[in-house]
Amino acid sequence: MIQDIIINGLINGSIYALLAIGFSLIFGVARLVNIAHTAFYMACAYLIHVGFSYWGLSMPLAIVLSIGLTTIIGLICYRLFIKPIREYEAAVLIATIALGMVFQEVMLIAFKGHMMGVPPVATGFVIVGGVKVANQHLLVLGVAVLTLLATWFLLMKTRVGLAIRCTAQDSEIANLMGMNVDREIMIAVIVSVVLAGVAGAIVVPLRVIDPHMWLPPLIMMLAVVVLGGLGSVKGSFVASYILGFTEAAVAIGVPMGSFLKGSVALSIMIIVLLIRPEGLFGIAFEEER
Amino acid sequence: MLLTVTGLTVVYDRAMIINDLSMKVDAGELVSLVGPNGAGKSTTLRAITGLVAWEKEVLRKTTGGDVTLKGAVVFDGERIENVPAHKIVKKGLIHCPERRRPFRELTVLENLMAGAYLLKDKTEIQSNLEKVYRLFPVLHSRAGQVSGTLSGGEQQMLAIGRSLMFRPRLLCIDEPSTGLAPIMRSEVFNKIEEIRGLGITVLLIEQEVSTVFKMASRNYVLSSGKIIAEGPGADLLADEVIRKTYLGL
Ligand SMILES: Nc1ncnc2c1ncn2[C@@H]1O[C@H](COP(=O)(O)OP(=O)(O)O)[C@@H](O)[C@H]1O
Ligand SMILES: [Mg+2]
Repeated sequence: MIQDIIINGLINGSIYALLAIGFSLIFGVARLVNIAHTAFYMACAYLIHVGFSYWGLSMPLAIVLSIGLTTIIGLICYRLFIKPIREYEAAVLIATIALGMVFQEVMLIAFKGHMMGVPPVATGFVIVGGVKVANQHLLVLGVAVLTLLATWFLLMKTRVGLAIRCTAQDSEIANLMGMNVDREIMIAVIVSVVLAGVAGAIVVPLRVIDPHMWLPPLIMMLAVVVLGGLGSVKGSFVASYILGFTEAAVAIGVPMGSFLKGSVALSIMIIVLLIRPEGLFGIAFEEER
Repeated sequence: MLLTVTGLTVVYDRAMIINDLSMKVDAGELVSLVGPNGAGKSTTLRAITGLVAWEKEVLRKTTGGDVTLKGAVVFDGERIENVPAHKIVKKGLIHCPERRRPFRELTVLENLMAGAYLLKDKTEIQSNLEKVYRLFPVLHSRAGQVSGTLSGGEQQMLAIGRSLMFRPRLLCIDEPSTGLAPIMRSEVFNKIEEIRGLGITVLLIEQEVSTVFKMASRNYVLSSGKIIAEGPGADLLADEVIRKTYLGL
């Protein structure tokens, strides 16, 4: 049981981390609250399904193509619907809610709300420390960890990452360094959607695909972001695993209790916020950016 | 002339902040722009380096606020009043902002690297970094420290150091001494003299007239958005009206 909690906690946490870090990134750089974020995760999952089941592509090819296509869709959505109203926070919020619902309705029309699944890429299991671990789970964890490491490297160790972080902290001064704020925001959008796409690719073989699958992770992702501290990538990372493990522990540890997993996780968030309103790694917002 | 500003006018909504301002900076000079709080010194600099135009775009989209920006800015023979801020930097017109504005969560070294953002050549970045460390040894010893935790004086050194990381030709520094202890102030002014000694032209914005007039070859006195006097410090101080009314000395 403990092993199951650890594996499921790690997987849940990694998926939330992939989602929440992307969400935090756009919020930090452009102050955009993107409610449609998990809709891109769903879109990628559906695209993989189409590529694999309908078009007969190999799984890796279907995944890579789908992430690429999702990113292009994300960029188009940003340019068409979000960029023109970027400075109006309330309008952005409403526009992204609408965008998420459009995605949901499109999937409902196209796939009639059937629940669908894709077979796992890896079969069998290995014994780790006397415990059976499915190869698929190991693969998923490996991909998630590599993606998170690559994101960390991009943000912390590259010139592009520095420009993104500078823009997030003070866009006016970023301008004075010769950074093109519009371009940095575009890059942040790309990174963010790619991360959502990877999260989608990871869940495809693990869960059923249906047009409402974007909602539960949306709520958990928002909880993670608030718990970690709005705009803090590090906070999102830590909070993802806290809530991921909590969910796994309740779902597996409490008999018949899996319906409770969301509420327990959200209760933890509320308790932390009562003690630390700015979240675990939150920074009090400064007037000037 | 390295910088020529002609007929600069900035209006925020209906408030005329800068009124038909003209000024010049020649290569090799240290020129000052002085005046009391709210005179429009920072707005003048922000207009020159493209930030007013940028703000105008943002405001137009958000609050519908209206900014009027008129006049000609010529840097090194090129009109720049319609060039976006991030491209003006490329020409070597560098703006070291008021209140220092370090990227507070970034380390000292990361801040300096942000200043070198436009450089791609590693050896040039390294040699500029060494130059900045030579000028401000404290930045070297604090390289790994998060800049938000530096003292005010150290943050000012960092802001100036960051401005030196990319080929500065005209360095415009906005109120570097404000809010610093007296010892720190004279240290900052000494560093600015040193920078000028490196052959970098400086436009220094200050309220602290007494020190600045000794350093600058020419000064512009700004009051309510208008240049009301111009010349060497000694001449300005000799004029009773200017000294009493505008400099408060
Ligand atoms: N973004 C803005 N919107 C409206 N008024 C402004 C803005 N920025 C500056 N001002 C006004 O312009 C005047 C000059 O400000 P500033 O240029 O900062 O003066 P200084 O740098 O000489 O202290 C002040 O009265 C200030 O209130
Ligand atoms: Mg000022």
